[in-house]
Amino acid sequence: MSTNTTFREPAYVDYKDVELIKRSLNEQGKILPRRITNVSAKFQRQLTTAVKRARHLALIPFVSDSLK
Amino acid sequence: MATLQNTYELTYIVNSVISDEQVKDLVARVTAYVAEAGGDIIEVAEWGQRRLAFPIQKKRNGYYVNMYFRSSGVMIPRLERSLEIDDNVLRYLTLRMDSKMIRHYEESKTRQAISYAALPARTENDDEDDD
Repeated sequence: MSTNTTFREPAYVDYKDVELIKRSLNEQGKILPRRITNVSAKFQRQLTTAVKRARHLALIPFVSDSLK
Repeated sequence: MATLQNTYELTYIVNSVISDEQVKDLVARVTAYVAEAGGDIIEVAEWGQRRLAFPIQKKRNGYYVNMYFRSSGVMIPRLERSLEIDDNVLRYLTLRMDSKMIRHYEESKTRQAISYAALPARTENDDEDDD
């Protein structure tokens, strides 16, 4: 049902909102599946678009293998 | 030609290796281009120089410009073409804003206005986005 945290899904996922997008990516920069994040299908679809737009504008990486 | 007006959002990255003056010139040129083609400019927000998440054309930094305008759709391909040709524009993204995006934009504007209005009333210990 609802997510474990008090995360409210915005009506529009903005590609400029890097903070929000980054929360839905793993360390490699991949989009986390819905099965992990428990977000709605509607949100996930919008997220996918937003991630792709943000990647195009180099706001988030396509791949990040930050070996630390 | 009473054409349909849409609201557009354009974000582009300018090569920041060129001088500040050249950057300013290019931004002014793009803005003028939109205005001359019959667009109503709503806002031009320059985010300034930022580090790119990955190198583009061997550059690690870029100057981001985010603008909003109303215009008919016929000028968009021409605008995009000129951005494509310009070597100092690393990336661009044009989006036609639907009602949801416009609402989101307006909400973020009012939020910003409120925080600005509240700023002088409060003391400095309030942590907003910008200091």
